[in-house]
Formats: sequence, C-alpha cells, structure tokens
Amino acid sequence: MKLAANKALDALCGEYLLGTLRGPARRRFERALREEPSVASRLAYWQATLVPEYGAAMEVKPSARVWRSLRSDLHLDDFRAPLLSRLGFWRGLAAASTAALVLLAVSRLLPVDGEPPVLQPIARLESGKGAAPVLAALSRDGRTLALSSERALQAGPQQSYELWLLPADGGAPQSVAVLATLSARVPVPESLRGRMVDGAKLAVSVEPPGGSPTGAPTGPVIMVGSIGTV
Amino acid sequence: MLDDALVRRLLLRTAGRDAEAFERLYELTAPLLMGVALRVTARRELAEEVLHDAFVKVWNGATSYDPLATRPVAWLVAIVRNRAIDLVSSADMARVRQFEDDTDTAIERFFDWAPAAEDTVAQGQMHNWLRRCLGELKAGERQALVLAYMHGLSHGDLAEHLSKPLGTIKSWLRRGLESLRGCVEHCMEPR
Repeated sequence: MKLAANKALDALCGEYLLGTLRGPARRRFERALREEPSVASRLAYWQATLVPEYGAAMEVKPSARVWRSLRSDLHLDDFRAPLLSRLGFWRGLAAASTAALVLLAVSRLLPVDGEPPVLQPIARLESGKGAAPVLAALSRDGRTLALSSERALQAGPQQSYELWLLPADGGAPQSVAVLATLSARVPVPESLRGRMVDGAKLAVSVEPPGGSPTGAPTGPVIMVGSIGTV
Repeated sequence: MLDDALVRRLLLRTAGRDAEAFERLYELTAPLLMGVALRVTARRELAEEVLHDAFVKVWNGATSYDPLATRPVAWLVAIVRNRAIDLVSSADMARVRQFEDDTDTAIERFFDWAPAAEDTVAQGQMHNWLRRCLGELKAGERQALVLAYMHGLSHGDLAEHLSKPLGTIKSWLRRGLESLRGCVEHCMEPR
C-alpha cells in the first residue's frame, strides 16, 4: 500500500520530525519520501507549521579542530583561490590581475561537478632524507595532476611549494603549480599537457609565498621523482 | 535567529563547490548546529563528530537541498539531529538521565518565537499559534514532545526518563502531535 494512502501519514510525519520514528519504520518512511511526492509535501507542511525554530540560547561554540579536520578531510584548499590573495599582497596589482586571469582559466579547467577524474600514478617523489614520499598521479586526459602524501606537508606562512616539470630533453624547469600543501589536485597548464612523459621528472622547490619570482626554481629542491617509475 | 536568506545563498554556492561560501556557512551555522548535536549526544566529542559528519554531508550532497521546499536552517538542523540520533547508543541510560525535565522553561529559553526577517505576516503568525498550542497541550504530552525533539529520546528512553510505561509514552506522543496539529490548523482557519 502506498504510504500516502495510509491514514497514519500525519502520525508518521510527526514522529519522523520528532525523531522517534526509528529502524525499519524510519527507512520505509524515507523511501516513501523519495518515491511519493505527496508524502514529501505532507512532511513539508508539518515542517513548516509544526516545528519550532531554535534560538541563539541554543548555540555552543565547537572547538577549532572541527573546522580544521573538515578543511583537510574535504581538501577544501583545492577548491579556493589562494594564489590571488597571496600574490595580491606581495607583488602588487599588476601581478594580481595576471593571477586573476590565470585563476579564471583554472576555474574553467576544474571539473565543475566535483566528479574526480580517473587518475594514473606517474611518479613517486622522494626527499632522499626519509620524509614520506609524495605520489603524483595524472588524469587520463592529462589535464589534472594530483599529489598525495601519507603525511601531508604544509608550507610555512612565509613560503610556498612550487612543483616543476624537468623536461625529458633537459630543457629549463617548467612551473606546474604553486602549492600550500603537497596534497593537492591541480590543473596541468596547457603548455605542459602531453609533456608529463617517461624520462621527464617532477620536482618540488621551496619558494617565497606565491611562487618563484623569477620563473625558475630559486629555493632548495626538497623532492624529486622520475616519471614512469611507479 | 539565523538569516534564512543568507544561509540559503551560502548553501547554493556550496553546492557549486565554493569553499569560501562553505566556510562562511560553517562559521554562521556551526554554533547552532553544535548546540543541537550536544543536546542530543550530551557529550562534546560526540557532538563534534556529528557536526563534522553533517558538514561533510552538506559539502558532498548540498545539491540535494531544494531551495523552494524547505527553510535552509531547518534543513541543516534536521541533518544534524538525524545524524546525532543515529550515533548515540540507545543503551546509554546515563545520557538519558542527565537531561533537564523542565521543558516549559526550555520552550521559552531555547526556541525563538519571534518572526524571522523574511517571514510573511502569516508565517510570523504561525510561530505565535504554535507556541500557544504547545501551551494548551496536557503537561505530560508537552514534556514528552519537547524531550523527544530536543534530546532525540526514543520511546524507550522517554519511558525510562519519565518513569512511565511504554504504552503511555506512545499515546502521549501520538495524542500530543495530533492535538498540536488540530490546534494550529484551527488557528489557521479564516474567521
């Protein structure tokens, strides 16, 4: 029997909102909510007319670690635009507007619906000093590069990490991305697509906030790995 | 009272994977939602786990929020309550015993009966009616309803807490809900 035809529909709506509908009864009700629009609309009516709203006296401050763990568990920093604010402060307006253009391009490349692309491991970056290795993986279409590490490294406030591609032909290092942490998902710059191939290397250097001011690595290289060795 | 219009905007931007909107949504609503979770779990670390899980759900599934169907704050509160109720152990009678019995004070203190900024006159009126109708319930029915709602108590928890047979609790809840609806609907009739 359809739940909407059930005489107890109002009682079910009430107990559902109250939280006393439990176990299989609740699951049945939730299925009906999805499948029978009249059940959903009856619940909406109950919600609008019979559920009081909590006020400010209810508020309790959660500890800061809740947000910290959300931020890292959901990789929220991959979804914002840290470059713009950092560049804006230390390089001035001209650089900031360039960054804005870059960001505009970046935001078009990132998958809008948040569907993660299928990734293929391409390199394992090692420090040579015992730090946890960073795994680099490339999406099948070559547009997204993901870095992951067992222990996520976070750049200090006065520095950024910069990821470089050292081309197979021995040419100058090419900047791939400026990062605050080595657990990140970044779009591969258009000029570098198709160049993450066997024989090339990926390296990470420590740079001033916002990345190398010269376009070439200026700080110490902390990790390096050959593409194709995974 | 939280600004429903602002929360709605932030939820919609969150659905578009806007991390800054999500952070603002968290800053704005986390204290209320933490309070809601804590009233159910009665344990801080468990309440924080509920809060965390609820926001993960919002980030991953905020698209299922229907901006036309529900008030956004009520929608968030429902997510948190459901998660909290699922997480507490039904065998944890120590949790059940520590809740305050004085539900009449709780009704005045923890609920907001003032009309919200975006309420129409009719919606504002609804708050008044609901408060009045709660007041007209029999004391036991009102107490059972408020305890169940605020603390996520099950039928069994309520029976234990109020030292009444399970059957009495069930009929208090059933009759309480029915009287409340009847009373509010009576108020809504044009005269």
